Amino acid sequence: MYKYVIRRFLLAVPVLLLSSLIVFGLMRVMPGDALTALMAESGNVSERELAKLRKDLGLDRPYHEQYLIWLWQMVSFNPGYSIFTNEPIAVALKKAIPVTFELATLAMILGLAIAVPVGVLSAIKQDTPADYTGRVVAVSGLSLPDFWLGTLVITFAAIWFRWIPPLGYASFWDSPTKNLQQFLLPAAVLGFRLSAATMRMTRSTVLEVLREDYVRTAWAKGLAGRIVVYKHALKNALIPVVTIVGGQLGTLLAGAVVVETIFALPGMGRLTVEAILFRDYPVVQTNVMLVAGILVTLNLLVDLTYAWLDPRIRYR
Amino acid sequence: MATATARVSEFETIPSVSPSGTRALWAAIRRKPLGAASALLIVLIVFTAIFADVIAPYDPLAAQPEIRLAPPSRAHLFGTDDIGRDVFSRVIYGSRISLWVGLLAVGIGTLVGMVIGLASGYWEGNLDMVLQRIMDAIQAIPGLMLALAIVSVLKPNTTNAMLAIAVVIIPGNSRIVRGAVLSAKQNRYVEAAEALGCRQLHILALHILPNVTAPILIIASIWFGNAILIEATLSFLGLGTQPPTPSWGLMLSSTGRAFMEQAPWLAIFPGLAISLAVLGFNLFGDTLRDAWDPKLRSNR
Repeated sequence: MYKYVIRRFLLAVPVLLLSSLIVFGLMRVMPGDALTALMAESGNVSERELAKLRKDLGLDRPYHEQYLIWLWQMVSFNPGYSIFTNEPIAVALKKAIPVTFELATLAMILGLAIAVPVGVLSAIKQDTPADYTGRVVAVSGLSLPDFWLGTLVITFAAIWFRWIPPLGYASFWDSPTKNLQQFLLPAAVLGFRLSAATMRMTRSTVLEVLREDYVRTAWAKGLAGRIVVYKHALKNALIPVVTIVGGQLGTLLAGAVVVETIFALPGMGRLTVEAILFRDYPVVQTNVMLVAGILVTLNLLVDLTYAWLDPRIRYR
Repeated sequence: MATATARVSEFETIPSVSPSGTRALWAAIRRKPLGAASALLIVLIVFTAIFADVIAPYDPLAAQPEIRLAPPSRAHLFGTDDIGRDVFSRVIYGSRISLWVGLLAVGIGTLVGMVIGLASGYWEGNLDMVLQRIMDAIQAIPGLMLALAIVSVLKPNTTNAMLAIAVVIIPGNSRIVRGAVLSAKQNRYVEAAEALGCRQLHILALHILPNVTAPILIIASIWFGNAILIEATLSFLGLGTQPPTPSWGLMLSSTGRAFMEQAPWLAIFPGLAISLAVLGFNLFGDTLRDAWDPKLRSNR
């Protein structure tokens, strides 16, 4: 098991290195460099000042040197400064990560709370009106754009209840009520979207597992339906669901870019979008790599969870 | 995007898909009312896009400031926007952008993904290792972020949004094709063709490719919906189609959000159009899968 974990981590290193090359390369493809783009927008900057700034930011060095410097900064958890705000990126991340983390956790909890029971119900009552309703809701969840849902939720909360989410981010520890008021709606929007895929997966795997011999044995033993479904069937049915949820968690942590933008939550997603809009390359590079790292780690955790859920799977 | 990834991973395990051609598809469409509905929806959207000039009652770009923000009425079915343009006509024309982006992004993404998957699965070895690690590296970056980064570097417009979406599609497709090729290679007739000394490209095109078409078509139809969704998202964030071109995502962000309390129809109708289009392709993907995947057919 330990060997497997170590091997997977070692395999992740070249993948992450390649990702970093792609991200770094992408940021350098643009004609001119980040600074020229930035200054062209603000105008009125002399060549000498530009050259000095470029030197200060290390943009005058050859690409391979820039790349190695950036790599070292990433590895040593000191990702440098934002070109735009001049703030250390680590400080910006420290503010943004808890926001996205809270949003992701709440959305995940809400999503699972809807998806698993509805998915199981849909499977047990296959081809009944309850099943059809569940499936239609799930497919709509997959098709409704989150920015539309978010916009509608805000609009109708304002029109019908004369209520708008409080402005200015408040952390949970400073003001729990204000914080929850800010987070519940965006988390519900994200959670609903997430629940769709999970619900479909839960339904189809529960259907499959319910046909297995050991489930038939459980029925034959005369066990109560609830015990057969929740204790025997659900645990195995959850394995593919874990893959989907693992993938979703990664994407959620990547910052629910759109939802954070609509609900004005200062999380990772919004930080990245703003950095992209202002062409703040150091921030974009760092954020994208951070998320890639989290995703790769999460994939490993998902695989390990398999083994825990299904004792037949053993990693060597 | 979360769901996009999840949707695709639902299909990563397509076991052995055997397309018995269009007949199975017709049977599935007839058996499942949702399948028929989705096919109808897609036909409707394609029809709207092709005949937009005829269907749209007004010029989508013509402003009539004297009737700005007019609510839906008989003259303007979906109302008018902040400078008095007819929202119905803009939604109709918007279908062109969405379909065009979907078609090209999915076309490029599928084609490139297929070539990589075929090469990777057929020749295996070092080529496979290198190609698949590159695919892993692209896949490690969340799709929307990658698309955002590509678009911001290239310059935000419809074409670049399309290219960015294609890049996001490639890795998943290549993996699915690779898997299908690996299993198709086990067939006796492939072995026989090799023993007879057929050229490798001939084997790939004639004996392996037909095995790959079904999973490709299923996944392409799902991606079509997602491509429309990503384009709308990019445009919503200001990084896709630029004004004044009518794009559903852009309509939502530019006027829909700004006037949402005064004129909720500005947000409702473009969003509805996106949802219906994506729903159509999602359901159609499901129908294709039901029709062509024998394992799933017996399960449902």
